[in-house]
Amino acid sequence: MDDSNSKKFQKDLNGGLVGLVLLAVLNQSSEDLYGYEIAKRLASANEGVSIFKEGTIYPVLRALSAGNLLTSRIVPSYSGPPRRYYRITDQGRSVLAEWTAIWAGTRNFVDRFIDKGQSP
Amino acid sequence: MNRSAPRSIDQYLRQLREELAGEDAALIQDALYDAEEYLRAEVAAHPEKSESDVLELIASTYGAPDEVASAYRDTEAKVKAAMTTPRKVPGSAAGIFFGVFLDPRAYTSLFFMLLSLATGVIYFTFAVTGLSLSAGLAVLVIGIPFFLVFMALIRVVSLAEGRLIEAMTGERMPRRPIHQSGTSGFWSRVGQMLKDRRTWTTLAYLILMLPLGIAYFVIAVVGLSLSLAFTFTPLIYLSDHYGWFDAGNLHIGPAWLESLWALPFMMLTGILLLTLVMHVARGVGRLHAMYAKALLVAPAGI
Repeated sequence: MDDSNSKKFQKDLNGGLVGLVLLAVLNQSSEDLYGYEIAKRLASANEGVSIFKEGTIYPVLRALSAGNLLTSRIVPSYSGPPRRYYRITDQGRSVLAEWTAIWAGTRNFVDRFIDKGQSP
Repeated sequence: MNRSAPRSIDQYLRQLREELAGEDAALIQDALYDAEEYLRAEVAAHPEKSESDVLELIASTYGAPDEVASAYRDTEAKVKAAMTTPRKVPGSAAGIFFGVFLDPRAYTSLFFMLLSLATGVIYFTFAVTGLSLSAGLAVLVIGIPFFLVFMALIRVVSLAEGRLIEAMTGERMPRRPIHQSGTSGFWSRVGQMLKDRRTWTTLAYLILMLPLGIAYFVIAVVGLSLSLAFTFTPLIYLSDHYGWFDAGNLHIGPAWLESLWALPFMMLTGILLLTLVMHVARGVGRLHAMYAKALLVAPAGI
């Protein structure tokens, strides 16, 4: 019961955050990245455990790409189907700046209440 | 999910396909493509482990098939909602009839009809040249590789046509090329490609695109020129009549039309005709999208 509650909460939180994190990762990277590479970067940043399931980043990548926040190109690969490499666009960068500000504001707002409750 | 956890890439992809049953065929193709890219890369990244050992951990990294399926469903719903701008639906009959001028799909479909003559000629030439050269070269050593390259090119053309149709008509088409999973051997891949119904329906689509393209082009050009002529001839006639500019020796025939009271009716007919052309274009766009999807995209569940 507890477990499914936390899972649902985590899933709801991830809804918008995955997009923000993906934009941030691609913004930091100097080269184009493909889905698997991005997934592994996220996992390695958090001691090998990604906060969200790596399978959920692919549809978000496609959605960001459809919204012109990312561009992509296809490169053949030996290990499987051709890989799709993503790169952030200028529009993506300005959206990232907006989203980062929103995230900072949200985090400060939430922390204000949570800190009070935890340190009486 | 009390189903057994997948122990191979094939099993995983099959379960994912089952989880997505009933979704848009193009969405399923994309989801399977993404999953295969990840799974194959993951297996390749751990050469010391067997495929089943890697797959054992996949539910905690990539996600179980049902989780991944729901992620695609959710994102698709959101994207669809964000991409389709809510259009004010005009209530009156006249509003519905003339509302077509506000629908960008009508214009893009009209453009598609004009373009389809060119694409039709190209596809037809490509398909017929490829087929006949494959048949002609079959007795030589080069025949088989030539045929295989031709088959591979068909898939590329199919993806490109799909992207064009989605841009023009808004119908969801695959955003990834078809990739065969399951078999690793070269000849079994070739065999699978030849057995794939979609390979042959795509070929049929490319050949049929020439007659269809001619028909679309003729309908669009005749409709446009007729309606635009009806709309603007009265204006030119009037400017000539009052000497605003010299349109030469302009005569409208039959002669009973060449009177001042008939001109507004002529213009009205032109505008009605133009609206009709826009409706036809939008309808053709929708029908063609359905037809293209049936031939170019594998039906869900296969």
